Amino acid sequence: MKVVELGCRETGGSRSFWRMLSGSGRMALAVLATMAMIALAAPFVCRHSPRIASGPALAAPSAAHPMGTDELGVDLWAQVAHGGRISLLVGAGTALLAGFGGAAAGIACGYRGGLADRLTMRLIDILLVMPDLPLMIVLAAFFGPSVVTIIIVLSAFSWVTTARVVRGRMLTLRERRYIKAAESYGAGTFYLLRRHFLPEIMPLAAVGMIRLAGRAIVAEAGLSFLGLGDPASRSWGLIMHHALSFRGIYYTDFWQWWLVFPWLALTLVVTSLALIGRDLERMADPRIRRRGC
Amino acid sequence: MGQRHTTRFCEYLFTILVVLSLNFVLPRAMPGDPFLILSAEHGEEIARFSPAQEEAYRRQYGLDRPWPVQYASYLGGLVRGDLGYSIYYNQGVTDILLARLPWTLLLVLSAVFFSTLAGCLLAGLSASFRDSALDRLLYPLMVAVAEIPAFLLGLVLLFTLAAGLQLFPLSGAMTHFADHGSLWGKAVDIARHAALPVLTLTLVRTGSMYLLARNAMITVLTRDYIRTARAKGLSPLRIFARHSLRNALVPIVTRVFLSLGGLVGGAILVENVFVYPGLGRLMRESVMVHDYPMIQGIFLLVTVTVLSANFLADLVYKRLDPRIGESAEVRP
Amino acid sequence: MLTVEDFSIVYDRDGSPLPAVSGTAFSLAAGESLGIIGESGCGKTTLALGIMGLLPGATVSGRVLLHGRDLTAMAESERRRCRWRHIAMLFQNSLEVLNPVITIGEQLTEPLIAHLGLTARQARERVTEMLAATGLAPRWLAAYPHQMSGGMRQKALLAMALACGPELLIVDEPTTSLDPESRQAVLDLLQDLQSRLGFAMIMISHNLPAIRRLTGRLLTMYAGRVVEEGDTAEVLRRPLHPYTRGLINAAPDFFPYKDLWGIPGVPPRAGSLAGCGFAPRCCQAGDFCAELPPELREQGSDRRVACHKGGIETVLSAHGMVKTYRLGDEAVKAIKGVDLVVRHGEVVALVGRSGSGKSTLAQMLVRVLPADGGMVHFFGRSIFDRQATAVIGGMQMVFQDPAEAVSHRLSVLEAVREPLDIMGHGERGDRERRAMAALAAMHLPTSTDFLRRTCHGLSGGQRQRVAIARALVTEPALLVADEITAMLDPSTQAVILRELKGLQHQRGFSMLFISHDMHLARKVADRVYVLDQGYIVEEGAAFEVLNGPADSLAMSMPAVTRN
Repeated sequence: MKVVELGCRETGGSRSFWRMLSGSGRMALAVLATMAMIALAAPFVCRHSPRIASGPALAAPSAAHPMGTDELGVDLWAQVAHGGRISLLVGAGTALLAGFGGAAAGIACGYRGGLADRLTMRLIDILLVMPDLPLMIVLAAFFGPSVVTIIIVLSAFSWVTTARVVRGRMLTLRERRYIKAAESYGAGTFYLLRRHFLPEIMPLAAVGMIRLAGRAIVAEAGLSFLGLGDPASRSWGLIMHHALSFRGIYYTDFWQWWLVFPWLALTLVVTSLALIGRDLERMADPRIRRRGC
Repeated sequence: MGQRHTTRFCEYLFTILVVLSLNFVLPRAMPGDPFLILSAEHGEEIARFSPAQEEAYRRQYGLDRPWPVQYASYLGGLVRGDLGYSIYYNQGVTDILLARLPWTLLLVLSAVFFSTLAGCLLAGLSASFRDSALDRLLYPLMVAVAEIPAFLLGLVLLFTLAAGLQLFPLSGAMTHFADHGSLWGKAVDIARHAALPVLTLTLVRTGSMYLLARNAMITVLTRDYIRTARAKGLSPLRIFARHSLRNALVPIVTRVFLSLGGLVGGAILVENVFVYPGLGRLMRESVMVHDYPMIQGIFLLVTVTVLSANFLADLVYKRLDPRIGESAEVRP
Repeated sequence: MLTVEDFSIVYDRDGSPLPAVSGTAFSLAAGESLGIIGESGCGKTTLALGIMGLLPGATVSGRVLLHGRDLTAMAESERRRCRWRHIAMLFQNSLEVLNPVITIGEQLTEPLIAHLGLTARQARERVTEMLAATGLAPRWLAAYPHQMSGGMRQKALLAMALACGPELLIVDEPTTSLDPESRQAVLDLLQDLQSRLGFAMIMISHNLPAIRRLTGRLLTMYAGRVVEEGDTAEVLRRPLHPYTRGLINAAPDFFPYKDLWGIPGVPPRAGSLAGCGFAPRCCQAGDFCAELPPELREQGSDRRVACHKGGIETVLSAHGMVKTYRLGDEAVKAIKGVDLVVRHGEVVALVGRSGSGKSTLAQMLVRVLPADGGMVHFFGRSIFDRQATAVIGGMQMVFQDPAEAVSHRLSVLEAVREPLDIMGHGERGDRERRAMAALAAMHLPTSTDFLRRTCHGLSGGQRQRVAIARALVTEPALLVADEITAMLDPSTQAVILRELKGLQHQRGFSMLFISHDMHLARKVADRVYVLDQGYIVEEGAAFEVLNGPADSLAMSMPAVTRN
């Protein structure tokens, strides 16, 4: 997974990274890794199809259907497993797009400055104060729901935080003596990037990306839950949306599996990402590490 | 300082202008004919528009006139408070919004109030007894709470407390057609209906408020001027109330204003979990039936509110902290 | 009025105790001023905070008696009432010492209202008076701390400290981070207010001239302990503890011409050493110094020093030195009765005009020239002959003329090894190693090629270096340098003196530096003797003699240029 690789480069060795994680961080990483693997191997792990009815409607969990079935008789386990793919896609996609995009923007603005920097900061200010969910709802409503649209819209919002943080770090870095010294030796931008900037920025960007992934997954789930998700996907939010739209959901106990399992999946992913994010934050900031906050 | 206010004000004005323009451009920039989708089928809600209604839409949007004219009339309408006409509800958008707004405000403001109170109290305890058992228990708990998305938490509460234990109603803001003997009865009824949504939003917000307040208080306690105050032999109460709190308040209060933006997003989702008749529920309904004027109206109202809250946060911050000069930004 | 008895402060950090102050004791009468000096981290501020009772995270033992009442035994609420009312503190000035969101006026009137029960209006009036006394206009009452400059904030802090009329004011570094003008202003203000209001003062500072000006008694603290105590002017003129001397030497205010040499090494981590905390950095540390921490003992009248050797030892002391030459029938008294003292680790300059008898005196001290009268004691033992020079760790002399100082027949190595050969010290290989080390210390090459070269072929500067290396090979406790650079060019002179001073500083030996060049003496000397016509006419600390009044002999001596 992307997370571990970046952490390795930063801390020098996957074993030391594992050791640096707290107990909860390790558990979170394990859970996340398991869920990702299930999602990726979904067609092989599930006996039934996520789209076609394969059993009685609203059946309780059993040996044949470990998570039960929904109102159409479609296996829930298959839906949840395949739904994980959407979350994975949205999370990773947004994190990469917004993360790298934001980092790149931050580096460019922080290092070069000038008019482009000022304009970008204005843009960031505007995007920061806009409430993202209403705008995302509006955009999704107008442009139609699809996973790609959602990724693009989410990225368009999320790149700003990373950009801001990275820019701030770049501003400090730019003034460091060793950068000035390297510049006076004739170092080009590419060299500075490779040798000095990226190693400093990577930890920041990594933490940002974890945050981004978590928020993107929640945002996609929220949109799907509202009914704005891609109807062709089987995202967890959409499953919950269908469940809640079912008349009588409150008076029966179908919710005990139809709602609970996607809910559980979502909560696990979000919490794990949050824990890993906090651990990474702790590792990246020597002050917090020392104080043990 | 006045100059600074004006600059920030202009920036916010500019942002609002961007939002307005976005509102204007969106329906006109949609791929394909907007009215192909007007007749929508979604789930159990079916909306079919008659040719007369479609004609009304066309006229409203003035799609046959040149763009600058459309923009001008759009802005003109806004100034008059006319946000358009909802085809689905058959009413002026403004009227519907004004009817539903109070419910959302009830949720949001209550959540802000309770979460700030709870967060600050717990943080005060934590900061005063730092590294005690209480602190060590609270801190990770609050960290966990701060990360849970609002609507997930809402679902839990809905199914355990409302559907399961039947302690609270499942939906709505008031019991319909009920006759309450007094104002008090009515108030209790509203409170019962609002309890779970408010609880959800409050819980979600308390986590981050606690973390912020705790951090602010701990930082303040280590400052030199607290040592000076103790050296002056002032009573502990005075030191706490006048010296510590006053300084810790600055980041807390600004955060309260700034968090309104996030709370609004949370409220939209939570209202839908609890089928609470505020703006969030309205937004979903409008999206389901593709009621574009309504969608735009809600979006505009929400955005302007959040922006105003941010601007207020700026003003309040300046007043609270006399050190802020020309170049400072509001840091949450 | 104030008595501190056996006061100790121990921080309890995560279970491992950190002693910050150990066994401090002193007393202060009403209106008296006490100065506390020491390096950063030696515990000065901790002591002050401990006296005020502002260290909640530390264990405090011992007693603090104010007018006979023990502050440490009081309950916190009672102690709180004492604070500011009886003992106030002027904290080290920083932007954060005052609350940034409260006006100056409110912060100044707070203690008045809390302790004296004044109404708001009465408090304002009193505060306005205090501000006026410190030179601030009343309109600053409505200002916020960040709106004032550093110097003004200092004055406001002072006004705040004196508002309740305390009997004791503790001042912590009043002049740090202020420009010289503001510094003077604050010191003037403190002096003025103290004479007017009559409060006692404890002043903690790095600024030795300020301490000299404002305090009557002085405490030196090192690693949480008091190592010297006495009358301020006396301690500064004649420090008895090596640490105090090191602090004074490092003050550019006192030695404007001398190059800056600090104290090598760093203070130990509290509680890490069993013996004297200063031993690793001390020039005269003995074996038993590392075993037991020294007690603070009386050493002469009105002075207490914590040192196993009773303070800085005297290396050389000479009394009543007399030398008479016979020129035909006449008897010319070259030296007419001279007393001289050189202490461990210091550089003493002996200056005087040509012909004043400096070299004669020096040679008598080293016993190269027989004296006609007087006694010379080396480390307390009187010496007559070569007892002090024919040993390791004794006295050595370096002469003026490099050409004569070293035999031109000997190779470099042989020349430097000579003293050891004569003394029969150690094995041959050991002697060679020592010789090479001495050469390296004087920055001479130690290649075989150079070592085999005869001194005949060396330049003046190199020969002088060889002479010095030869003197240093026996690791002397006292080096007598008789005009050693007078025959060298200025650049060589500068280099050699700098290297020599560096060695002296590092190894801690004493040096008697003889010169007719005042400027040169100013660069290296801690103490000065001025010799004129056979008498010592002036003596004292270098900052007293060499920066002294214009009509002193030292100042009127012309700076003689190279001949």
